[in-house]
Amino acid sequence: MRYADFTPYDIVLLLQGLGVTLALFVGTTLIGLAIGLLLAVVHHYRVPGCRPVIVLVTEALKNSPVLVQLFLVFFGIPAFLHIRMTPVEAATLTLSLNTAAFAFVVFRSGIESIDRDQIEAAQVFGLTRSQILRLVIAPQAAAFSVGPLIGILVNQLQVTSLISVIGVFDLTKIGNILNLRTLQPFIVWAVIGLIYYLAAKTLAHAGGRIEAALRKSVKWGGI
Amino acid sequence: MRFWRVIEPHIGFLLQGFALTVAACLIAIAGAVLLGALTASMRSSGNRWVRGAANAYGDVFRNVPFLVQLFFFFYGLPELGIYIGAFETGVIAMSIAGGAFVSDVILSGIMTVDTGVIDAAKVSGLSRVKIFTRIVLPIALRVSVRPMGSVLINLVLTSSILSTITVNELTGAAKIVAATTFKPFEVYAVLLVLYASLTTLLSFAISAVHRRLNRFMTGG
Repeated sequence: MRYADFTPYDIVLLLQGLGVTLALFVGTTLIGLAIGLLLAVVHHYRVPGCRPVIVLVTEALKNSPVLVQLFLVFFGIPAFLHIRMTPVEAATLTLSLNTAAFAFVVFRSGIESIDRDQIEAAQVFGLTRSQILRLVIAPQAAAFSVGPLIGILVNQLQVTSLISVIGVFDLTKIGNILNLRTLQPFIVWAVIGLIYYLAAKTLAHAGGRIEAALRKSVKWGGI
Repeated sequence: MRFWRVIEPHIGFLLQGFALTVAACLIAIAGAVLLGALTASMRSSGNRWVRGAANAYGDVFRNVPFLVQLFFFFYGLPELGIYIGAFETGVIAMSIAGGAFVSDVILSGIMTVDTGVIDAAKVSGLSRVKIFTRIVLPIALRVSVRPMGSVLINLVLTSSILSTITVNELTGAAKIVAATTFKPFEVYAVLLVLYASLTTLLSFAISAVHRRLNRFMTGG
């Protein structure tokens, strides 16, 4: 047997890579959604001085390549602040902020989609600010936001492949290793692509079901 | 200004990279729009097989990371005996990936075309090709300028990934500058601002095109 052949152990390697990709994806998605939601709420309440900063930072994150952001965080910040940073830390920080920027825009338009009259009516009924946020704004904004969010998350799953460039051993990095060892790029990259494809499809499918469930409560029932 | 002091000696090299980025983006945008229009026309076809093939292409290339597609072409094409440069490979990969997203946008534009308009064109005796290129496509493109703009902006951002296959476009050039100056923070911060301004300019241009194409649509 040559060292260049595929071995059964490669399957373990692929699963490991998939595990790293999925773990980072889930982790950064949760952090990103939380930060995005926080930004949208801060933006909604017009906290003095926060609006322009939030808009500027999220626009910069949305309008620059993720690869450059990764380089800035992984190479730039440690050199600038003289701290150590592992590839996984840099990837987590960058992907979380990136997801947050996209999620912020969705949550903001979700909140803005709610009629001013509803909030005024709730105020007239004597609901407090936090009650209005929890009981009136949140459920409707959630139903409104799920669809666009799924699209963003499918995209973010693909963006995670970029972290292989700064040395995280995710699925794409495993593909690189197998590619260099076996010199069979067609098989290797087709398999890697297929795994990403199936993951994206599963995510989109699950998202569709969540959306249907959330929309049920706010469905237009006719007059 | 410390950022300028770091960048200044390498500005010529970075401009070369910028020129390469612009070249790659222009060719890839043209390729993506052509491929996208073709795919969208196939996806709106009456033939099941044509429709299925076009849908499969769009589905695959939208759900696989661009980096994986790029490696597939970059390492795979020489295997087939096709030897082309990294730049050409990158532009082809960008066109193919971009085409999948553009076809989505144009298809939804085609769906907005009133069937009455198509019926009227058929009654007037126009051929199917004429109906598509002269009637349906102009209306569809007018509607889809804005969503296509965001796809094209994404394509420009994607061009930075070409640096991973040895193309020294703007990001690749910046990587070399960061390595020679030992000042990665300054270099990449400037790069981030550069890309952000480039895409912001592009989005202004798209808004202008949108207004120009829809100038007869106001008032009613």
